[in-house]
Amino acid sequence: MISAFTLLFAFALMSIALHRSIFLKPFALLGIGLAFYASYLTQGIALSGFSLEENIRLFELIVLVVLFALVLHEEDDITITQILFIGTSSMLLLESQTLLSFILSFESLSLISVILVTQIKTKEQADGAIKMFIAGSLATGILFLGVAFYLIGGGSLLTPLAQETNSFETLGILLMLGGLFYKLTIIPFHSWAVDSYALVRHSHAALLSGLAKTVVAIAVFKVFAPFLMLHSDLTNPILITVALLTMTLGNFLALFRKNIALMLSYSSIAHAGYLLLAFVAVKSEFAKDGILYISIAYIFMQSAAFLVLDILKKHYAISRLEELKGFASQNAILAFMFTIQLFSLAGIPLLAGFLGKAVVFYAVVDAGLWWVALIALLNSALSVGYYAWVVKGMYFDSFSAKEMAFVEIKLPMSAQFILAVGTLYFGIFASTVFGV
Amino acid sequence: MSAIEIIFFPFVLALGLSLFFRGESNVSKFAALGLFSYMLSFSLSLFEQLPEEGYLLLGEFLKVERFDFVLRLQVDMLSTIMLTLTSVLLILVALSSWSMKNQALYFSLLIMFSGAIFGLFMSTNLLWFFIFWELTLVPMYFLVGVWGAERRIFAAVKFFLYTHFASMLILVAFFLIYKESGAFDFTLVRESMLLSPVLIWWLLFIGFAVKMPIFPFHTWLPDAHVQAPAPISVLLAGVLLKMGAYAMIRLVILLLPETSQQYAWVILTLGLITMFYAAFMAIYETHLKKMVAYSSISHMGLVVIAISTMSYAGLSAALYEMIGHAFIIAPLFLIAGFFHHKTGSWEMRDMGGIMQKAPYISAIFVLAGLGALGLPGTMGFVGELSILISAVKSFGLWMIVVALGSMLGAGYIIWTLRRVIYGEMSEVVKATNFKMNMMEFLALAIFALFIILFGIMPNTLFEYINPAFSQFSSLGGAL
Repeated sequence: MISAFTLLFAFALMSIALHRSIFLKPFALLGIGLAFYASYLTQGIALSGFSLEENIRLFELIVLVVLFALVLHEEDDITITQILFIGTSSMLLLESQTLLSFILSFESLSLISVILVTQIKTKEQADGAIKMFIAGSLATGILFLGVAFYLIGGGSLLTPLAQETNSFETLGILLMLGGLFYKLTIIPFHSWAVDSYALVRHSHAALLSGLAKTVVAIAVFKVFAPFLMLHSDLTNPILITVALLTMTLGNFLALFRKNIALMLSYSSIAHAGYLLLAFVAVKSEFAKDGILYISIAYIFMQSAAFLVLDILKKHYAISRLEELKGFASQNAILAFMFTIQLFSLAGIPLLAGFLGKAVVFYAVVDAGLWWVALIALLNSALSVGYYAWVVKGMYFDSFSAKEMAFVEIKLPMSAQFILAVGTLYFGIFASTVFGV
Repeated sequence: MSAIEIIFFPFVLALGLSLFFRGESNVSKFAALGLFSYMLSFSLSLFEQLPEEGYLLLGEFLKVERFDFVLRLQVDMLSTIMLTLTSVLLILVALSSWSMKNQALYFSLLIMFSGAIFGLFMSTNLLWFFIFWELTLVPMYFLVGVWGAERRIFAAVKFFLYTHFASMLILVAFFLIYKESGAFDFTLVRESMLLSPVLIWWLLFIGFAVKMPIFPFHTWLPDAHVQAPAPISVLLAGVLLKMGAYAMIRLVILLLPETSQQYAWVILTLGLITMFYAAFMAIYETHLKKMVAYSSISHMGLVVIAISTMSYAGLSAALYEMIGHAFIIAPLFLIAGFFHHKTGSWEMRDMGGIMQKAPYISAIFVLAGLGALGLPGTMGFVGELSILISAVKSFGLWMIVVALGSMLGAGYIIWTLRRVIYGEMSEVVKATNFKMNMMEFLALAIFALFIILFGIMPNTLFEYINPAFSQFSSLGGAL
């Protein structure tokens, strides 16, 4: 049986031939559908250095569902092909087992992300793309510096990351983590992300901040957790400080944004802080469930939120908070779906975001750090401030002066529907995640 | 319907109604009334099935064994009483909202709230308890934010944020309980299993104190109460505050009895401060609905004092006062809202002499007012008296100061009646037509009936209330 990776790769290559044809989108959707089926059945990529674990399989399936929704939403041909390529390298990254395969797939994902944002149409997008490119190069530089130290210390690229390490290897691993945190937008490596996410096209931001980030987080956790578990005395003080700073700063900076995309970008940084808590709690048996759950929740809600922004910008020319006034009376269904995703981001129960946070925070309590969990929870409560403000604008305020025409939006709405179902499903049926 | 359906059906129904019906459609109004009546009959039927002691298991759903994340629905006497009270109030709130604007959405939100609150009172799993606890906020946020008065948006956001912050403390406490005892089900947790009961106690106490509310965590309530539409104020006072009191009894007093005993003085002191502070604020207030809101907080102070006794008599008295408070404060809010709606003013000086224009409504206002100050023959009297007795029994004769609180109550109530209902008819009142919707008046009349009925025959209630705290029965029940 062919693996999901092979299928996606083949469809991505072939899709280039279908540009400017109406068959491109159905073709891409078919490819993702087949990959879903393959990922459900196979043992993963049959290459040395890659293997598929059960909980990763679940995440792969979810990534494919989100890719499906992203393609459904997208109207731009080049982006559809690139979505397929991003899916391909995501599969690689998720299944990578050795350090070499991990680094190679990580770099391929970064590279495609950069290519994605270089579809520049406006000056702002160029700004965002260049920032992302420079940050990405810097991250790669730090990552390879770490690899160099790791190899000098006697580590091997062809095995999983060493657990018992000498000081060179430890330094190398810490540097590698630094480079990877760049990608995960952890403070102090966050500043590029705000501009990049907010300035590039919103559907690209959905891919970068929703999909790519969670895939990287899961892969990094898989590769580095054994090391962190053994060295938590050394790493935990750093990780706790960085995680708390990241979420607090992200939330406070998001609080006063009038531009919705900018607000979501800062909130994305805050969420990186929550993701990092799973690394803090690595000693708890729930850390693994935690990172899996919060990533599943995040991939649905963040992608959906940015896709909503894309619809708002394209069809209603809305990008600022005050322009959203009374939107619920214009398009009740879209407003409702946006509300679901925003409440999920805020951590309101019966939505995936709540359970994702709850499991991670419980893992932190389980690791004996209840005060860290408390600070994180207060942060999450603070974040309700800005999410609820958007909802307030849509429902409580009366119309803005601008008269909006009724727009028929079919496919993007079905993409929203898929993502909303995901957010609701994983908010109620936790056994799907815990069962694996 | 089974227990799980009665929780989740409202969510589905609310979604369906809000998507398929728009604006002033009557369908959701009748759907809500039907659902709430069914909920009442469901709650009443539970009384017959309850065992002598302990819980009646209604089912386990959505199991995640590894995390003890199981929706385990169990009820005992206490939760069944809360369920019954809630469904009665929901019916009456639905009746009093009969002429509300944008009905389809309004009643959908009310229906959603009913599902969440039923889940809260039935779930014995702490994580699910928390989920329902938080879920009640969402419909409330919209109900206050969309249908409220002038500063509704500020009040809605403040209410949401303030109570959500408090909930975070509760969640940490629940996590600690699970970590130390290995169970999320509070019927399985004993205080002796916990390693850090004091930390957990403080987290839970502050978390629930915000909801009740207890001074100094009460500041969200006057805003929310005043800005909310009148029926929603009833829901806030009658259900949301009771949620806090229920949780305080169940998860602080009954779950952590030893630590609570140790800190009973904290609860008592804050209860006294709450009662007196709110009473003085009510005297000072000239804004009619704010006065009622402070009077509501003052009565919750009484409940806190009763809880702090940690005795059979005290807890029974607290539960009685909770029910009494719900029935007494509701018509006050509804009529205050009605007066505002008709006269366009909140200020008492713009009213006066309303008795001459609207005798029936005024009569109910006077009756509820007298109930609030504790006139014999009303529910207020029985509640205050039994709390006074239990407090004196537990803490000594100096607790007679509680009676002073009631006297302050007499002060602000009678003065308010003098300014609003009796006295010279003001120009504004002269120009106003006080015509009320029949359904809304029906709700008021039922409230009035309850105030007198259970005031004269408190034993019909205590028969149910006393067994709720049978684990304390060696100490003798209330009345």
